[in-house]
Order: sequence, then C-alpha cells, then structure tokens
Amino acid sequence: MEALGHLLQGFAAALTPGYLLYAFVGCMLGTLIGVLPGLGPAAGTAILIPLTFSLDATGAIIMLCAIYYGAMYGGTITSVLINVPGEAASVVTCIDGHQMAKQGRAGSALGIAAIGSFVGGTLATVALVAVAMPLASLALKFGPAEFFALMVAGLCLVVGLAGNNMLAALLMTVIGLLFAMIGVDPVRGAPRFTFGVEELYDGIGFVPVVMGLFGVAELLLAAEKRQTHMVEAELKSWMPTGAECRQSVGAIGRGTVVGFVLGLIPGVGAIVPTFMAYVLEKRVSKTPERFGKGAIEGVASAETANNAYANASMVPLLALGIPSSPTIAVLMGAFIVNGITPGPFLFKEQPALVWTVIASFFVGNALLLILNLPLVGLWAKLLKIPFSYMCAGVLIFCVIGAYGLKQSLFDVWVMLGFGILGYLLRKLDFPIAPAILALILGPMMEKSLRTTLEISGGSFAIFLDRPVALALLAIPVIVIAFLLFKPRSLAPLRESDIE
Amino acid sequence: MRQGRLVATGAMLAFCLFALWQSLLLSLTDRLGPGPGFFPFWLALIGIVLSLALLVSIWREPRPATDSSTEEVRILPHGWGALRCFAIIGLLAAVTIAMELAGFRLAMLVFNAALVIALGERRWWLIALFAALGSFGVYYVFTTWLDVLLPTGQFGV
Repeated sequence: MEALGHLLQGFAAALTPGYLLYAFVGCMLGTLIGVLPGLGPAAGTAILIPLTFSLDATGAIIMLCAIYYGAMYGGTITSVLINVPGEAASVVTCIDGHQMAKQGRAGSALGIAAIGSFVGGTLATVALVAVAMPLASLALKFGPAEFFALMVAGLCLVVGLAGNNMLAALLMTVIGLLFAMIGVDPVRGAPRFTFGVEELYDGIGFVPVVMGLFGVAELLLAAEKRQTHMVEAELKSWMPTGAECRQSVGAIGRGTVVGFVLGLIPGVGAIVPTFMAYVLEKRVSKTPERFGKGAIEGVASAETANNAYANASMVPLLALGIPSSPTIAVLMGAFIVNGITPGPFLFKEQPALVWTVIASFFVGNALLLILNLPLVGLWAKLLKIPFSYMCAGVLIFCVIGAYGLKQSLFDVWVMLGFGILGYLLRKLDFPIAPAILALILGPMMEKSLRTTLEISGGSFAIFLDRPVALALLAIPVIVIAFLLFKPRSLAPLRESDIE
Repeated sequence: MRQGRLVATGAMLAFCLFALWQSLLLSLTDRLGPGPGFFPFWLALIGIVLSLALLVSIWREPRPATDSSTEEVRILPHGWGALRCFAIIGLLAAVTIAMELAGFRLAMLVFNAALVIALGERRWWLIALFAALGSFGVYYVFTTWLDVLLPTGQFGV
C-alpha cells in the first residue's frame, strides 16, 4: 500500500510536461538507436549520455531509461524488415518476424511486437513495484560484509554466463577491477596508480570507457565489414488482425513471466529470455511446425520477454545496487554521474526520484506503443542512412560525451584507447561485460571489503559469522563448480542454438 | 585467433604483474586495517594466476589447420576494412589534438568531412552540409540548449 502511494506521487511527477518530454525524446532516440544495426542498447545509452548533462538527475535518468527500453524495441524493426537484429535480444525475432515480412505481414509482426513489448514491459513494472521495495528493505539490514558478498555473487553470475570462456571472463573481471583501482583510494584518500597524471586522480572515467568499449569499438567492427544499403520491406498495415491478436495472448502472458523472472537474475543476457520464451511457446503450441515459417506467437513471445526482461532487470539495480547487464551498468554509471548511488538507500533517501523514475517506465511503455505503431514506416526509412554518416554522427556524440563531463581532452584519449582495446578484445573473443560491471562495482567492493576487515580487525572469519554473506559467497563457488563439472547438454545458449 | 589470444593474455599477465609491483609500493596494511595496496595486491595476484591458467588453456587448445599468417589476418583488419578502421582511429586522434588548438567547431568541421569522404561519400554538397551541421550546428545545440561546455580553441572559434 505504501508503494502504491509512492507510485501515485511518482506518476504526478512523471506526467509533468518536462519529464513527459524527456521520456518521449528518450523513447524516440532509443528506438532510433535500436533500429540502426550495430548499435545495441549499451552503446546507444552510453553515447547519448551527453544529452542529459544539463538535465536534473530525475530527468536524466528518465531519459536514459527510456533510451534503454526504446532501443530494446527498436531492434525488432530491423529484425522483421531486413532480417538484421538491431541488437542481440532481437535475434530470435528474426526467425518468424522476417518470415512474416516475406509473406507481406511485416505490419502484423511489428504491431504484435509493439503490443507485446507494451504488455510485457508494463506488467514487469507492476511486478517491479511489488518486489523492489521489500527487497530494498531487506537489503537495508545488510552490512558491508553482505554488500561485498552480494557484489561478488553478482559479478560471478555474469562471469558464469560466459560459458566455456569462463576463465577469460574471470580474467576480464579482475582487469576491470584493477582499472577501477586507479585514482584516489576510497578509504584513506591516498592516490594510487596515478603516476603523477593529474587527470587520473578522479580515476578512469566510466563514461569515456563505455563510449570507447561500446561506441567506438562497435563502429570499428562495423567499418571493417563493408556495410550494405538496406532493403525496403512492404508495409501494408501496421496492425495485427483480431485472429492474430487472439493467437498471441498466451504467448504474451508466458513471455512476460519468463522475461520478468530471468530479468531478476544478474548475468542473464537479454537473448536468453527471448530464446527461452520462444522455445516454451513452440513446446506448448499445438502446431509447432508453423514456428520458423512466420508464426506470430514466435514474435509475440520473444518481444514480450525482451521488454519484460528489460524492465525486470531494473529490480536488482534499484533495490540492491547491482547492475545485471552491461546496459544496466551504463545506467548505473549515469546514476552515479548524477550523484545518485543506486541500491537500498535510494528508496529511503530519494523516494521522490526513484518512484518518479518507476512511474516513468509505465509512461515510457505507453509512449513506445503510441509511437511505434504508426511510425513503423518512418523507422524503416532510417535504415537507408549510409554508414559513413551514421559513423560520423555517433563519433560526434562519443567525443562530446567523453569531453563534456569533465571538459577534459584526456578523457577523449581514454575513449579512443578503450575503443581500440574493445575492438581487439571483441575480435579475440574476450567478454567485455564482466570488465564493465567490475569497473563500476570495483570502488564499492573495495570499500565494503576494507570496512568489513576494519570491523573484524583484519580477520576474514567475519564472513563465517554472517550467514547471509556466507550464503551469498557460496553462490560464486556453486556457479563455478557447476560450470566446471556441468553435463554437455547444459551448455550455455548461443545465437547458433536458435537455428 | 589462438596466437592473438596468447598475445592478449600475455599482455594481461604483464599488466597484472605491473599492478602487483605497483601495489607493493603502497602499504598493504596499516594501523586501522587494510591499506591502499591491499585490494589491488590481491586482485593482481588473482589476475596473475588466471592469466597463467588461461595461457596454459589456450596453449593446449588444438592448433587450427590453417597456417598462422592467414589466422592473424582474420584478427587484424585487412584490405579496405583496415583502411576504414585506421581512418576512424587516425581522424579521432587528429580531432582530439586539433580541438585544443582550433576549437570544437573547426576541428569537427574538418573531421566530419574527412571521415565521410574516407568512408566512401562523394557528394560534395552533402558532405559540406553534414560537416557544417555536425560541427557548428551541434556546437550551438550543446552549448546553448544543453549547457555543455565544448572547447573553443586558441582562435576563440
């Protein structure tokens, strides 16, 4: 009941013209980013951070969250129309969505994707309202030992998803944590690894790093492969028929549940819920042979799960301060840039902000539905932008974003350096996500561990005296042991598995 | 790929060794408990163990049938792809240097035009329009509407 009262107040703020405009602009830009192949939600959210520099914290977060879920929907358009997923989560949508487009039903596919995204996103936000506050209240009882254990568990779940590449993922986590050590020691205030470089006293900036690792690296990878011009698909209508809607009801319901549950678990990438929802739908279908040949339930389940996952993944961030994916880590970085630390204290110390942001999720989902159904044709036209202009446009944003935060050209060099590093790491199949999460969690992990050890007089036995911390620390051990000794049939999901 | 992964892991091992050495120059513990070097020391140590384990794991992977020179070509960009990548990196480096001297608008004007030409655009009017909008237009929007400070350079432009 308390949550409902807060939510109503949040709605009152989120529906003011200013915040409504930020949500609208965020949805538009997010969809645009999602439409452009090669730029995923993480890169999109990172490169658009400079647009929020002058906004107040609530406005900035509303806009960036809208960019995130806008991008999650935007990827659908390219998946359906040209069989190119705008972002990884839309890979599954290609299977039936593009088949529908080939049959002249692109409008139905995009329409049901928009409806499914709206329903999935909205219901997941309702569940977020119910779950987030009790979870945050529980986390308020945590001490530094529990927080350290929670962060270790969160990082290890992300590492666990790297599958056979687990050793590389663990190493990338450590590298990310070491980069996070650069700057002034968070406990004693002593400079570390700064080598007399004044710009390093504040640490390596998160914004230039993510802009480099996502924005610049993505462009380098795209520039290497020659980009082709897009094809135009026929759009007869943008609404699914009544029969198609009835066919999709069950798929939307099941997709919401799958997306929400998996969104709560750190490390589950966006592709896993979409894939699982699709497989579930195929299993429960009386006519599974239609899947892969233009079954609308295939599109509805994957897209619903995708947006339910996107909204549910805000629960660990808002309630526990744990980013569950690279995009959420970028959002967490944006919170921190705006002077807000996500986590259980957020609900206590800044209830107005957090509930306005949550209310804006409902508003944003509704805006996406209103925007995307009639504007599908316009989004499809954006695919004709030549790569040269898209690349230059993105780089302008990257340069401004890296420079603008601290007015430092040093940060532009950092962005360029991490761009080249990100390009090489991606080519060499080193996972970047664990390093990003480690970079943002590093200072908090160190502070929690050192405070814990100060309390215990330097003894690690304190973790044995705290059952919650011990249980949380057991998670990484179980995950790693499971991955080392798992049966072959439980190998991690890959895009090729969808074939 | 295998050779590239070995080199990259070797570089990470070197990075961890360097971090270990640097953390040893800081105090690991002090009167109150763990010192500034404590966390990076243990991280670097874990990093060294993981790097060595990964090196061994990659070394033990079966060698691909192709010869190593062909393999390397796949990791590093080649042909036109390499030219495009180097154009992006080179021009980004150039604009970063130029911004301090010439300011955002002039540096970005040249950067935009040079980049779209390097990536294959040949319609001069479109190049000129894009370069102007992407430099002077963007500068106006960000400094006037969004209150973001951008470098003005030594000529005040």
